Amino acid sequence: MKKTLTGAFAAALGLAAIMPTANANPEQTTNGAQSPAATMAAQTCGGCHGTLGQVKDTAFMPLAGMPTTHFVRAMEAFANGSRPSTLMGPLARSFSKEEIQAMAEYFAAIPKFNHTATK
Amino acid sequence: MSTMNRRNFLKIASAAAAASPFLAGASAKAAEEKHVVVIGGGVGGATFAKYLRMYAPEIKVTIIEPKKEYQRPYGSSEVIVGNVDMEEITISYDALKNKHGVNMIQDLVTEIRPDKKEVATAGGMTLTYDRLIVSPGITFDYSLIPGMQTPEAQAQIVHGWDAGNQLETLTKQLQAVPVDGTVVLVPPPNPYRCPPGPYERAGLIAQWLLNRGDKNPKVIILDPKDGFTTDVTMLQAWNRLYGMNLPKPFEKNYKPEEVATFKKYDKPGVIQWIMATEGGRVVKVDAANKIVEAEAGVFKADMITIIPPLKAGKIAIEAGLADKSGWCPVNMKTFESKIHPFIHVIGDSCIAGEMPKSGYSANSQAKVVALQVKALLNNQPLNEVVLQNTCYAKAGPNDYGMFVADVFRQNPEGVLKRAQQPRYLPFNASTAQFRLSAVYLEAWMQSFTQDIFS
Repeated sequence: MKKTLTGAFAAALGLAAIMPTANANPEQTTNGAQSPAATMAAQTCGGCHGTLGQVKDTAFMPLAGMPTTHFVRAMEAFANGSRPSTLMGPLARSFSKEEIQAMAEYFAAIPKFNHTATK
Repeated sequence: MSTMNRRNFLKIASAAAAASPFLAGASAKAAEEKHVVVIGGGVGGATFAKYLRMYAPEIKVTIIEPKKEYQRPYGSSEVIVGNVDMEEITISYDALKNKHGVNMIQDLVTEIRPDKKEVATAGGMTLTYDRLIVSPGITFDYSLIPGMQTPEAQAQIVHGWDAGNQLETLTKQLQAVPVDGTVVLVPPPNPYRCPPGPYERAGLIAQWLLNRGDKNPKVIILDPKDGFTTDVTMLQAWNRLYGMNLPKPFEKNYKPEEVATFKKYDKPGVIQWIMATEGGRVVKVDAANKIVEAEAGVFKADMITIIPPLKAGKIAIEAGLADKSGWCPVNMKTFESKIHPFIHVIGDSCIAGEMPKSGYSANSQAKVVALQVKALLNNQPLNEVVLQNTCYAKAGPNDYGMFVADVFRQNPEGVLKRAQQPRYLPFNASTAQFRLSAVYLEAWMQSFTQDIFS
């Protein structure tokens, strides 16, 4: 049987729904559970640092797989100005200590993205 | 187009069986599977769909969007000056469909029926939802600008504020400006999409005219406001780059010692910003003769771009989701409409306290709503929210960037308020800091698009 299937027809049938999602559910990638609170804070980073911190870019630091202490120290240094920045200073000062710790643990638990630069 | 063999046919047939219950008249058996319908495949809708599929793959997500491909409005003024082309701002929905399993329907929602929890489309479909996400962007309201109500006037003077063909019109209009000509730019009143955007466009145009070799071009901003997001940074940059004097009424936004560092020029610069208190409000427009009359006087231009007042997306207004402000009131913890339950309004259309109407805001709201909708559909407790916004803008040259960055939380009354921290480049930022901000701006165009659509 041979028949041509248009994209619109396939979409109308919900074909896309049977495709597996390539991204792991972050709540399943961790050794511990990713709490909704940690996810809430960490997902705000995604616009620059990539979904799950796995940015495919050379300018922004990938956060996935970053050791917890590394993340926390970087945020502290941005906040107190000892590490020069553009907008990370203002952002780091706007998150609480608890939020920064939660974000750090969230990203540490996500596998590093073996990325290649797109540009 | 692809050729279908028997194996694929069986897959599709079973997929059709799985999908069909979401059409109206669903059988009781399928009602256990949750279905979230999203109106609009822009930043808000696309981010929501991707993230809900990632956080809760058991929930079916359908986006209904009339356009085949997305054209990003963020960064799109750069098309006008030739920094990027239309192809570069056009983004495919393929990854949402194929990688994230989002059901994409190319159609236009014409009606929302909150009582039946269903939507109807121009194509004749009816879809039922457990939760509906409304992310329809903006509409343009010319009713308050005399001279701009006719289709002719709106074809001659365009905004280019929602990407599309108007960007190409603006490109042609700019290229037709004579040497040392005058461009008049009218930003909208608050609130509007992309707060630094009109001013970035003014800078991009000024720089384009100078790069062309013009010695004395004019870009005149006639503003209904006395300030704008990134203003304290932008005015510093324009003072250095375009011979613009600091407007006297704006001096109060700096410390006296900071005001003293501004250069003084004995004639107007390339960019003139006429703020509201100096007569920037537009009174009348003569589109055919390219004349704008403001409180400060009459301006004859070679090119005019007016971004009119904005309102919530058409379907949001038609569905009664907006209040008399023209925008949609929501519970800022869940972005559920205060007017119709089970409907969440995100992105430019919603009233989100101090959050600006920006791509990053829509992206951040979409992720929050993905978490909250997952909790609601699973009868779990709602989460305390934290959101972020980052906007980048150029002062004009490609190596002169700036930003605003904020974190938002609900106050005790439930209103989203920004954390009271510095949000801009420091005063007298070095050229290196401006340059680095421009580097991040360019990178952000890629990373942000990937976070939404890849």
